[in-house]
Amino acid sequence: MRKSMILPGLAALIMLIAASCTKDPLKDMTAEDSRIYITNYDSTANFGSYKTFSIADSVAVIDNGRATKEISVTDQAYLDAVKKYMQQQGYVLVNKSQSPDLGLNVNRIYRTSTGVVSYPDYWGYYGGYWDPYYWGYPGYGYYVPYSYAVYSVTEGAISVDMLDLKSAKTTNKISIIWTGTIRGSGILNASVADSQVKALFDQSPYIKAN
Amino acid sequence: MKRRIINITAMLAVLVGVSLSAQAQKGAVKMGLYYDYSMPIGSFKSDYISNGSPRGVGGEIMYNLSRQWGLGLNVAWQDYYQKYPRAIYSLDKNQDISAVVTNSVQSAPILIKTVFSPLGNDRRTMIQPYISAAAGLNLLTNSQYLGQFNSSDASARFMAQAGAGVQIPFSKLSNSAFFVGATYNYISYNKNGLNNFNTIDLQAGVRFPL
Repeated sequence: MRKSMILPGLAALIMLIAASCTKDPLKDMTAEDSRIYITNYDSTANFGSYKTFSIADSVAVIDNGRATKEISVTDQAYLDAVKKYMQQQGYVLVNKSQSPDLGLNVNRIYRTSTGVVSYPDYWGYYGGYWDPYYWGYPGYGYYVPYSYAVYSVTEGAISVDMLDLKSAKTTNKISIIWTGTIRGSGILNASVADSQVKALFDQSPYIKAN
Repeated sequence: MKRRIINITAMLAVLVGVSLSAQAQKGAVKMGLYYDYSMPIGSFKSDYISNGSPRGVGGEIMYNLSRQWGLGLNVAWQDYYQKYPRAIYSLDKNQDISAVVTNSVQSAPILIKTVFSPLGNDRRTMIQPYISAAAGLNLLTNSQYLGQFNSSDASARFMAQAGAGVQIPFSKLSNSAFFVGATYNYISYNKNGLNNFNTIDLQAGVRFPL
């Protein structure tokens, strides 16, 4: 071998060994490991002051910038799980016509044409997904505290949003006081819905009725 | 005057001849190949990856400046990896994220290296100590996975290295040798709260003339 070839040869050998020995985190991960649970809450909200809640009867499916309302078996499983864990925390489920203190919306978010759903956009269009009329407050706007961290979704996610309906009449806006987002492999499956929603509530111990 | 010039020319010719002869005897260029076990220290260990990495290799081309001094190029590669069990992290005062966090770092230093062997590679001595110093660039890839979602940073960072070890010739007549040694590595890095990627490495390999 010519000496001028030794150095590139040595580098190539090391790169070859490197490629074969690098530990790939994605190959060392179960579906459960792949999931992340993100929660934001309004630090000024007193979660103990709310007594009743109602939950939307369908799920907003946000796909490529369009939103539709659907209710698949998986959607129903997520709605049921949210009801279950809200009740476990001491809140009373009522019909939306009974002026609930809290409203809960569940959303399925898919990839957009740009590949990213950014949350300022998501919240900016929130009235388009969930017309305040649904909750009995036509013409009101939604309000998201600026302190909520901003993140982007590049593939499927499920989010649960908690709305303060109790204060809406006095503030003329519907504040989003808590959001929970689930991302990762296998989340769009009815059999895992309960454990996914449980994870959101487990990391939000402040959600508790007095 | 003319005689003086002839004398000086003759002396230079003798010096160059002796020098070339000495270099030929010493074997001008040697290659080293080694296995590397790396142990993170400092904030790299306490804040990021505490596991030692058994996935490392390296190679060097050294030119013998004299019997005692060598100068050359060192290239290497190391893969660091650590997966942490699911935990809840507070990203902001009102944002929490539950995730399995995996930290993965690939390090590929390219260093100018000098080696000093006080015994001058004397073949009559079976154990020949050496010390080394090196500096250059480290091509670093730092990835952090929250579940399956990663953020990655690739950059070239300054690196300095100090080392010591012993080499043991295959036989009394051999220019090839086994060697074992240790190095202290300073790798500058200032991101995500990390101050450096410092390590202590253990190495074992062979050196042979080309």
